[in-house]
Amino acid sequence: MFIAPAVILLTLFSIIPIIIALFISFTDMDLVGLADYSSISGAGFANYINIFKDPVFLKSMYNTMIYVVIGVPLVVAASMGVALLLNYGTGWLFKSFRVIYYMPSITNIVAVAVVWGYLYNGSYGLFNYILSIFGLPAQQWLQDPTLAKLSLILLAFWKSIGLNMIIFLAALQGIPRSYYEAAEIDGATGWKKLRFITVPLLGFATFFVTITTLIGWIQFFEEPLVMTKGGPLNATMSMALFIYNNGFQLSKFGYAAAGSFVLFIIIIIVTLIQFAVKKKEVEY
Amino acid sequence: MKKKTGLVITSALLGFSLVAAGCGSSNNESASSDSKTLKVWFMGTADTVTPIAKMYEEKNPGIKVEVQAIPWDNAHDKLLTAVASKNGPDVVQMGTTWIPEFAAAGALKDMAPYIEKYPSMKAENFFDGAVQTTKYQDKTVAIPFYVETRAMFYRTDLLGEVGYPEGPKTWDELKDASKKLVAKGGAGHYALPIEAKDSIYTAIFAWQNGSELIDSNRKPQFNQPAYVETINFLKSFYDEGLSPKGTDLDTVAAFKDGTMGMFISGPWMIQTVKEKAPEIDGKWAVTTLPAKKTNTSSIGGADLSIFNYSKNPDEAAKFIAFMAEQDAQLKFYETSNSMPALKAAWENDALKDPMIQAFGKQLENSRPAPMVTEYEEIAKAAMASFEQITVGGADTQTELDKLNAKANELLGNK
Repeated sequence: MFIAPAVILLTLFSIIPIIIALFISFTDMDLVGLADYSSISGAGFANYINIFKDPVFLKSMYNTMIYVVIGVPLVVAASMGVALLLNYGTGWLFKSFRVIYYMPSITNIVAVAVVWGYLYNGSYGLFNYILSIFGLPAQQWLQDPTLAKLSLILLAFWKSIGLNMIIFLAALQGIPRSYYEAAEIDGATGWKKLRFITVPLLGFATFFVTITTLIGWIQFFEEPLVMTKGGPLNATMSMALFIYNNGFQLSKFGYAAAGSFVLFIIIIIVTLIQFAVKKKEVEY
Repeated sequence: MKKKTGLVITSALLGFSLVAAGCGSSNNESASSDSKTLKVWFMGTADTVTPIAKMYEEKNPGIKVEVQAIPWDNAHDKLLTAVASKNGPDVVQMGTTWIPEFAAAGALKDMAPYIEKYPSMKAENFFDGAVQTTKYQDKTVAIPFYVETRAMFYRTDLLGEVGYPEGPKTWDELKDASKKLVAKGGAGHYALPIEAKDSIYTAIFAWQNGSELIDSNRKPQFNQPAYVETINFLKSFYDEGLSPKGTDLDTVAAFKDGTMGMFISGPWMIQTVKEKAPEIDGKWAVTTLPAKKTNTSSIGGADLSIFNYSKNPDEAAKFIAFMAEQDAQLKFYETSNSMPALKAAWENDALKDPMIQAFGKQLENSRPAPMVTEYEEIAKAAMASFEQITVGGADTQTELDKLNAKANELLGNK
């Protein structure tokens, strides 16, 4: 009985919406349907069939895959690296760098987008200015289809590193000193201590960071929305942005709900794979 | 956290609608006891409308006007939620291009009975193009509020040097002036930017070339010669280096330093250029667009509607009637620089500025985007096609055939 509040909240705000969305995904609901439920009619699997024929959706799946494949390892490795470096000392320099790395995570994405928009600007941007110092040609950071994707990854990478670094830092500080002392008595060097004690004992933190980062990147949304609106040529369109565009720009709720279900299923599959892989690891 | 964003939002929308529909009615009734509160939704910033609301409150004691300003970016989402919950404002400002969509959903009240009652709402008071935006399937669902159109901003000094001190008057002159400007300026100079992200931009040129976008029988015209020729004309500006390929060139900065001698935009840019580039005061002007067959421009802006789920429709109509009068229209021009839809207001001294008058002249030859519910999506497809042609290197005719097929499908044509 004492779990009832949790169960009710979960049902009300998580499970019921999912069921309603599943239901909507089999209808042709649009703005007219929203105002007058009687005009909604069933569409069977048409939304699901059409969405897999939609070149923009297929492109958004491909883009999302690129985001995940490049973004996730980059974020996990870099945030672990930063955490390890910051863990070396406790002086004011280390403390202020913690703040500096964490700052992007708490900054509003729209503010970030404005600033980065200027950095990436083709004519007046800092990045092109730096290139020009080295005599390199100016780049169309957000207008070139391939480069735009990488530009967004760089921005999201910069933004998400802080939060994950904090998780790693907390885990690092939970490792008992005695392990290192024992290793030192056995004559282990710094590299060996890192390789055989620190990294394995960060296993759970790494797992947590990987799984949340992975889900975050599969739902990559705000950066393309505010920076490129999915362009040029849909090269930065992510699945979440595709769903948003169809649902809120074009009021095609049924179609958008079908898209969100495809996304939902992909996330579940990826998460299950993660858990399966995790089980095979050696536990300390 | 971005947990299942799309999914949750879509479903929450429906979920909330059930809850909100229940509480909505009680809120309004409690307010209507003695002094009435009129809920008004505006797009943009509150300081432009609040003074007018104050004027109305002074004239009509016992009525409180509650103005809520919604940023344009969020406005569409917010209106969707209001329709879903059937609980929103009494008076709502609508972007003209949204009218068909929300009218089709039955969210806007038929204005006909109110127009009979209040002479200030009569159609002949407003610009024709603005009145067209208030109609959906022969029903009038809104009253014009303010208008905007696109005209040509140009540097008189730079254009004068290449022989067009009054700006280009025709497409041929536009092309010629552009070539000369770029040749004179050298590397890194452009004639004018093409706003490829703005669907109305290509539409304006198509209209000038005598092309319809969607004809009166709901048949798209995107693969017809007139439209194809228009796209090729615009494309040539990219091909010949007359327009910047990237879309992030800062228009005002480039206009200021002479990197770009012209641009096509709306009246809001007058103030922006004045503020951000005072150095070039007196060296630039605004004129009507260059013509091919016509010099048609677009008309947009916003209308005022009564939200169908309003509990105070009569009060709402009275407020809208007030907003359509000259006092309110001129006050809004003063607070926001948005041009009045009311023709009579243009006689006022406040609008005698030659730059504003250029827009006034352009307004006489302007038309709204096609008033079909599907237009928003078709416009998106048209922009995507334009991008495929200019950036992606697709063949114009092939790509436009595809676009036309897509438009036919969206319009439900066999």
